[in-house]
Amino acid sequence: MSLAAEAFVSQIAAAEPWPENATLYQPLREDQILLSDCASSLAVQAYLRMCNLPVHVSCRSNAEYMSPSGKVPFVHVGNQVVSELGPIVQFTKAKGHSLSDGLDDVQRAEMKAYMELVNNMLLTAELYIQWCDDTTATEISRPRYSSPYSWPLNQILAYQKQWEVRRKMNAIGWAGKSLEQVYEDVSQCCQALSQRLGTQPYFFNKQPTELDALVFGHLFTILTTRLTSDELGEKIKSYSNLLAFCRRIEQSYFEDSQAGSSSRGYSKGPSLF
Amino acid sequence: MAAPLELYCWKGDWGLPSVDTDCLTVLAYAKFAGAPLKVHKITNPWRSPTGTLPALKTTEESTRSLSKPSNIIIHLRKQKYNADYDLSAKEGADTLAFVSLLEEKLLPALIYTLWVDSKNYVDVTRRWYAENIPFPLNFLLPNRIHNQQLERLRLVRGDPTLEPGEQLEKELYHDALECMTLLSQRLGSHKFFFGDSPSSLDAYVFGHLAPLLKVKLPNGKLQQHLNSLDNLRHYCTNILILYFPSEGGEPPIRKVSVHSDSSDFDSEPHKRRKQILSVLFAMGSMLGYAILMGIVSIQHIRPQAALVGPRHIEEGGEEEEDE
Repeated sequence: MSLAAEAFVSQIAAAEPWPENATLYQPLREDQILLSDCASSLAVQAYLRMCNLPVHVSCRSNAEYMSPSGKVPFVHVGNQVVSELGPIVQFTKAKGHSLSDGLDDVQRAEMKAYMELVNNMLLTAELYIQWCDDTTATEISRPRYSSPYSWPLNQILAYQKQWEVRRKMNAIGWAGKSLEQVYEDVSQCCQALSQRLGTQPYFFNKQPTELDALVFGHLFTILTTRLTSDELGEKIKSYSNLLAFCRRIEQSYFEDSQAGSSSRGYSKGPSLF
Repeated sequence: MAAPLELYCWKGDWGLPSVDTDCLTVLAYAKFAGAPLKVHKITNPWRSPTGTLPALKTTEESTRSLSKPSNIIIHLRKQKYNADYDLSAKEGADTLAFVSLLEEKLLPALIYTLWVDSKNYVDVTRRWYAENIPFPLNFLLPNRIHNQQLERLRLVRGDPTLEPGEQLEKELYHDALECMTLLSQRLGSHKFFFGDSPSSLDAYVFGHLAPLLKVKLPNGKLQQHLNSLDNLRHYCTNILILYFPSEGGEPPIRKVSVHSDSSDFDSEPHKRRKQILSVLFAMGSMLGYAILMGIVSIQHIRPQAALVGPRHIEEGGEEEEDE
């Protein structure tokens, strides 16, 4: 979203309360969505639940093309459309819902830094495994990504996407990495997160922040998604405090609300435990 | 280890030990860790063992040379040159997080301001690289790096139709200013990010901020913001004074001499050489064109001449005609 539009949105947003019919759009849950999109979508859902903002989840096969930035997920609130976690956090902040107000300057700097760590390493590693590992790309990513379309469009779109991701990996210097090195990076990232979390319930003491939502979204999705190899999940499973952290957020933000209203769209995969 | 490791990097200017962010990071880390490197400051990336700069030539057979700063730092760490030895596990985690912050938020804006912003690129970056890279690469490389960096920004932002302009600049600078403010808040009044001794995070931060601090850019929004953050500015100048004393002192003298005399004397031989080179180049291409198009031909006449008379006389004659 452009800055001018952002400023405009935040002005308008401040005036209106959060509506009941807010909708989150993501690709089809069963047949289409890929690991990285699923993780981003779950992160946004977790964030909105932490803020106690109700949202209805809608799955569309063309969600990627509906999004203003070309990335999923995006939320449709009132007459505004906002995509990706960062802008959504700003948007809710403008409406007076924020999780990070209690932090001091240094903590806020650290929170942003760790959020970039997740984006820089976990998200990039997910993209790498999806599109640059040939087995995963052939068996999972390309068929799933193009499942709503018929031949030959499915082939064209899938290869186009793969080509785009590979060029991106090239540009950021990941193209030369082997799969083992990527797993090693994921492991390093998890170790950093585990160290930072320590024995605290959330990354910054008792209250969850957007960092907790982002980390939960990625770790939980990796743990509950079946890929061609289990190695990615195994990397996380060696950090018991991260596992406990995922379970804690799942229990406090996803399970009771599910019991409360089963009609609400609920796009989380199978339960962790 | 018998021979010291050899490091190839871009040469310095503007009071910096190197003009390139990655090279600066590696150089700073080597200083912080006390690694005895043999540094080759060059201006021709084709002369580095990997074809890119920086590059570290190692003694091991399996990995002959490394070029990514993170890999070089890991390699130095394995050789027991570790600037992060005193860090706790949590500080190690913070290092990883803040390096990610730099790469995601500040680096795109840094690339934009040096390589894409047209005024800065034409007046400063392209000029510096074109003056320093040896002929004939100086015609090729700056444009190639420019295109690569623009492409990189496009891919990172996920927008293939991205055009440099105000909109993009605003978005990138918004992130970068936020990143610098966050770094400044995290640094507070400390000397380095983790206490009194520098670590690898300090090397990365220094590598990203020092060019902004020292390079004189016509379009300097990022620089203005950095200058307004006193602790970050002091932090960078401090590292320059403490760890690169020779570069810190050298440029003012040289800069002054260059500036005061540049108009008539100092750049004169350089200018003459360029004039001669360009005249030669133009003549060469004109001649080449003439020969290719058959306006001037040398060999056509020979067989005819051979028919007419003795070779050596005719040859001389015909060649004069050619001229």
